[in-house]
Amino acid sequence: MSSHRGPHRGVIEEEDATTLKLGEGYEESACLFISEVKILLEATQRPNTSEVYQKTVNYVNQFNRFTNADVVREVRKGMNEEPIRTILKGFELTQLANLCCEEAEEAKALVPSLANKIDDDALQNFLNTILDLKKFQT
Amino acid sequence: MFFLRTLSHTINLHPSYFGPHMREFLMRNLHADVEGTCSGRIGFIISVLNITNISPGKVLPNSGLAEFIVQYQAIVFKPYKGEVVDAIVTSVNQIGFFADVGPLQVFVAQKLMPNDFKFDSNGPCYRGDDQTIEKNGQVRLKIVGLKHQATQINAVGTIKEDYLGQIQ
Repeated sequence: MSSHRGPHRGVIEEEDATTLKLGEGYEESACLFISEVKILLEATQRPNTSEVYQKTVNYVNQFNRFTNADVVREVRKGMNEEPIRTILKGFELTQLANLCCEEAEEAKALVPSLANKIDDDALQNFLNTILDLKKFQT
Repeated sequence: MFFLRTLSHTINLHPSYFGPHMREFLMRNLHADVEGTCSGRIGFIISVLNITNISPGKVLPNSGLAEFIVQYQAIVFKPYKGEVVDAIVTSVNQIGFFADVGPLQVFVAQKLMPNDFKFDSNGPCYRGDDQTIEKNGQVRLKIVGLKHQATQINAVGTIKEDYLGQIQ
């Protein structure tokens, strides 16, 4: 490979989850957590044999955290509640729903952009709502 | 991260398809063209959910094909540097292990594992003090680098940080 890099290449490398630079068209797009992807994929009953599709189905089945559609709806509702939705971006909330952290400290280590935005108590509150939903689902 | 994104795609339709079932042909063409594709800017297009708008067809001079611009919503997977994700281990070897995050393949080299991780050729697997990484196991890793190629994205990950590693 040559050491010369095209101008567009630099633009792509600027994207970074820790500073929430998501790239063109993505900042305003809705993020989906794994259980939502599973529900959407199951709703489109269309044979699809592409490798990308099969691998995704396998992945969402293994990491599906919330077992029924009602719980998934409740999680999404929790993410849309004030004040959490104005403090945090959809990308961060979705990461929290995917990772299901138990402690605020753990969440801040895994999602560094949270660090100076929200205090531990408020974050712990949000994590607890998700954990409770996960714990009591049937 | 998975996204719900609105995208557009241009389809050139052969005149033999003009007729009452044109919309179906356009849909089938769209699915065949975009599903399963991958680019650095957009990421992996996993599944088209619905079509929001189809522009009026414009017949192209010389060829007779009609050009349609189709707007659609799709589930897209786009990985980011610095993102923490869960992954499924697909293969383990002496230099590290490969894991799948949905359609994305991530490589974790041995030097990006905690120092106590040792390679064990029986398995094969990596063994740490209280963790074992073997095929089909689940790991939590952080993406540290991405390489965008024309039709592929490759990622490098690390588990050498707090709260990363095998998922028990």
